[in-house]
Amino acid sequence: MSTALLEQQSETVMHFQQLFQEREQKLNGQANAPLPRLQRLAMDRLAETPFPTRRNEDWKYTATTRILAPAYTAGTEAELAAEQVKAANIVCLDAYVLVFVNGVFSAKHSQVYGMPPELTLWPVKDALKDDRFRPIIEAQLFHEENQVHNAFEHLNMAFAEHGHFIHVPKNVVVDKPIHFLYISETEDQAIFTHPQIIISLERSAELTIIEHFTGTVKGDAPYFTNVANRFHVAENANLKHYRIQDESVKAFHVNNTRVRQDRVSTYSGYLVDLGSRIVRNNLGAVLLDESTNTNFYGMYFGRGEQHIDNQTFIDHAFPHCESNELYKGIVNDKASAVFNGKVLVRQDAQKTNAYQQNSSLVLSPKAVVDSKPQLEIFADDVKCSHGATIGQLDENSVFYLRSRGLSDEQARALLQHAFLKEVLDFMPEEKVINASEELITKKFQGEF
Amino acid sequence: MLSIKDLKVDIEDKAILQGISLDIKPGEVHAIMGPNGSGKSTLANVLSGREEYEVTGGDVSFLGEDLLELEVDERAQAGIFMAFQYPVEIPGVTTATFLKSAVNAVREARGLEELKPVEMLRLIRQKADMLGIDHKFLQRSLNEGFSGGEKKRNEMLQMALLEPKLAILDETDSGLDIDALKIVSDAVNQLRQADRSFIVVTHYQRLLNYIVPDYVHVLYNGRIVKSGDKNLALELEEKGYDWIKEEVAAGIPSL
Repeated sequence: MSTALLEQQSETVMHFQQLFQEREQKLNGQANAPLPRLQRLAMDRLAETPFPTRRNEDWKYTATTRILAPAYTAGTEAELAAEQVKAANIVCLDAYVLVFVNGVFSAKHSQVYGMPPELTLWPVKDALKDDRFRPIIEAQLFHEENQVHNAFEHLNMAFAEHGHFIHVPKNVVVDKPIHFLYISETEDQAIFTHPQIIISLERSAELTIIEHFTGTVKGDAPYFTNVANRFHVAENANLKHYRIQDESVKAFHVNNTRVRQDRVSTYSGYLVDLGSRIVRNNLGAVLLDESTNTNFYGMYFGRGEQHIDNQTFIDHAFPHCESNELYKGIVNDKASAVFNGKVLVRQDAQKTNAYQQNSSLVLSPKAVVDSKPQLEIFADDVKCSHGATIGQLDENSVFYLRSRGLSDEQARALLQHAFLKEVLDFMPEEKVINASEELITKKFQGEF
Repeated sequence: MLSIKDLKVDIEDKAILQGISLDIKPGEVHAIMGPNGSGKSTLANVLSGREEYEVTGGDVSFLGEDLLELEVDERAQAGIFMAFQYPVEIPGVTTATFLKSAVNAVREARGLEELKPVEMLRLIRQKADMLGIDHKFLQRSLNEGFSGGEKKRNEMLQMALLEPKLAILDETDSGLDIDALKIVSDAVNQLRQADRSFIVVTHYQRLLNYIVPDYVHVLYNGRIVKSGDKNLALELEEKGYDWIKEEVAAGIPSL
């Protein structure tokens, strides 16, 4: 690392340490409660773990220095009108809703009545005080199976105050999706927030969660959403995970989601990335036993100077597992996108089916896509494929649509929409598809 | 309605159309026939607004407007419809979505209000029924995986919905079996009316048994070398194109 970078990093970490100490001083003897103890541990680790730089192969295209440059403070809850929350909600979706304003849980705007009594949905700080759950949470937070935690994850753990823990006991099928709605707003002071969801699904349990990140930058100060999720999907359980991101294009967004799957379990991730100045997603699934099913579907659309970086990792270590991965994206103007998808098929993972595809449309001479699908196979009896395509809109299709009266602009928007729609069509929840389509349309119309 | 005067067109500096003149009045059906490479499709494509053709001379006026100055979408809005020989497959856009967008775009340009979703659905279903098209068809991606006949039928559905003043059928019959051919010709015959004209570009006379033209023109080497009524098509069917080529070579005047 260069001296300048080192200096910037140590300044950043010093700033974080100072914030951390200020908060600790306000704890008044609570410093030994389980959450602050974990946070202290994470802070120590953060001090030892440098933030990744472009010299790190997996971070080659994304400068963390830009994300870390503002002097952030922790977000505090702002007054938000009910209409504003409603506008950010998913139309007609029947779900339990947890609303976070500037990272702070807002009971006032949330709606969690009528949850199945078997289900536990608690703040992490409370769940850690419960002997049944503490070991589960700690196991989730500290495991480093095949993936070393990065500094952003330590940062999240050190500062996450409003993380939630979901425990679904065996055979319980949660009747409605749980929707985590994160709304951020800044004016003159840059803030960072640390959304955190820890999920434990027991045998044959089923759950759908939706993360939705949105926000506004009213002044010059950006905000930074630093997410870290840990999901454990036990035998024969099924987790569906939607993630819709339409943050302000002046915001920064880092999302680390780690999934661990037991035998015959299913995890499906559906990702819609539309907002943020810089987005970095790390999504990883470690398959801990046979016959699992893992689905990663993602779509992204960048314009202006947006930069969207998706890193995915699927670790096949046991036989008969299947993974499907499809990421499609469009970049226009000076936007850039990165796809780096790793699929590892270890020697014992015979009869693995692993499919991976990344397709991009690059619509302007200054837009850039870096696509790197990586398949590493050490087993000999597997079906695996991967591919990447980068192209432009098909001019014959544009002509055909125009010959039926659509303007050039309408024709191109329709084709781009169709390109992304293929990913949305994998989503089982139609209302999320509709909401995503509406956001895409808004983006085409230049509303953000 | 459409008046073509001495139209000359090049592709990549090669002269394809070498002075075509044609006058089409409201309600008329003109068939354009000719051997392969005679310039039939070029004529159709130039009228539809393809950009890879260079017009080097002549004029085309459509309802008093200079057609060659209009963009492809403006031509569609003004009332020109081109049924393509090879309709494009567009995955991810359902036929229904496409039809709605097209109908509303054309309505807007013609100063009409957008149709409400319910009215639109009713209209699309009504036209589909008229052409014997299964409603399931509407939910499929546009032309994706359609058979040749289905694609042509879809073109006819679009034509019925967009209600053009001039429809150009570019070898719509090529490769169709007799059943598909009948569907296409039925559609055209149902849409024939006093203020709507058709240009039917075809290589084969068979289509003209079903769509009876008012005029038949033979294109050869980029020129109209012979014009007549439907009997000319029958003569071509019987004798092939060679006698036309010989007449041209011998300098026999065409009309």
